[in-house]
Amino acid sequence: MKRIKILKPVLVSNQQRARENRTFFDRMGSLVINIIASPGAGKTSFITNLVKRMKNIHRILVVEGDIKGQIDSEIISKLGIDVIQINTATECHLDAFMTAQILPKIRKRYDLILVENVGNLVCPAEFEIGEDYKLAILSTPEGHDKPLKYPLLFHLSRVVVINKCDLLPYVDFSIDSAKKNIRKENPKALIFEVSAKTGEGFGEVIAQVEKEINAGKKKSQH
Amino acid sequence: MHEFSVTKSLVDLCNEEAGRNNIEDVKKIHLKVGKFTGFSPDSIRFYFEHLKVNTRCRHASIVFEEIAIRIKCSNCCKDHTIEDPVLLCPACGSDRIELMSGREFYVASIEGE
Ligand SMILES: Nc1nc2c(ncn2[C@@H]2O[C@H](COP(=O)(O)OP(=O)(O)OP(=O)(O)O)[C@@H](O)[C@H]2O)c(=O)[nH]1
Ligand SMILES: [Mg+2]
Ligand SMILES: [Zn+2]
Repeated sequence: MKRIKILKPVLVSNQQRARENRTFFDRMGSLVINIIASPGAGKTSFITNLVKRMKNIHRILVVEGDIKGQIDSEIISKLGIDVIQINTATECHLDAFMTAQILPKIRKRYDLILVENVGNLVCPAEFEIGEDYKLAILSTPEGHDKPLKYPLLFHLSRVVVINKCDLLPYVDFSIDSAKKNIRKENPKALIFEVSAKTGEGFGEVIAQVEKEINAGKKKSQH
Repeated sequence: MHEFSVTKSLVDLCNEEAGRNNIEDVKKIHLKVGKFTGFSPDSIRFYFEHLKVNTRCRHASIVFEEIAIRIKCSNCCKDHTIEDPVLLCPACGSDRIELMSGREFYVASIEGE
């Protein structure tokens, strides 16, 4: 009987593949945002708002990850931009390998790639896909305690968007408590308050994304 | 749910490492799991029983070793072990903390012949 030291992460192959995807996206000069939230939190509505306001200035690709169907892809294609659908079948998250399969379909340079992950607050957090960063959406009807119940996602997300703020008068949701709870997991998180229904708050989100796109361009010129 | 693909990666990694080290029959897998990960040992065990069949890991069992969440506070300059992943210093309440451990998920070693 022998004992061999391994000391290798279980998800080593996913991490390697994610790094390769990232290299591909960097070479294309694309900012890639991995959007994660529970079902119905407003991922597609959030993306729609960004696309409408940014599509005339930037080349945008949306990647739709769903267990099945292409309802969200159809919504996005109506906006007149490119969409690629990934159906994960049995998996509750996108991973680096599923993402790698779509790379051959990316034949243009995009400034911004928005990836809508499968609706789920747990699993997508663990799997890198080659993104620049994760953006979590928390919608007000879900309650302000969610960051404490699903700490990993909020810990790993650079940006947290509080959506459905138009519903604040009708739901028991405190923005202050939500922010406190998010900061408990992630003191550096950038937090935005929006309503994907009224469009309120999107100016600030877009200013941030613009800044990141421009920073990336400067980087790739050097 | 995601434990299925995670366990698949685990079995693949262990079979590959066993092959590299001429181990035909893996008996034990020592797995380190940080408390700040979303992995459930019970589901991993469940899928493992199915996925190990007809591989070098067919007789193997998994020994889980939990790793505590440790943070270092740059305000009071102390290390703390915390139970829940609330990343605030339990002594002074500061949020200027650094996560030292808790996110691990790796195979430490395998035993077999
Ligand atoms: N009142 C209100 N409703 C919203 C807002 N954002 C989204 N919704 C509604 O919430 C529902 C779900 O929105 P989606 O954008 O489809 O949510 P999703 O996260 O993409 O959902 P899945 O892809 O199915 O997980 C829809 O009926 C939206 O119209 C908002 O800011 N305010
Ligand atoms: Mg959607
Ligand atoms: Zn302290």
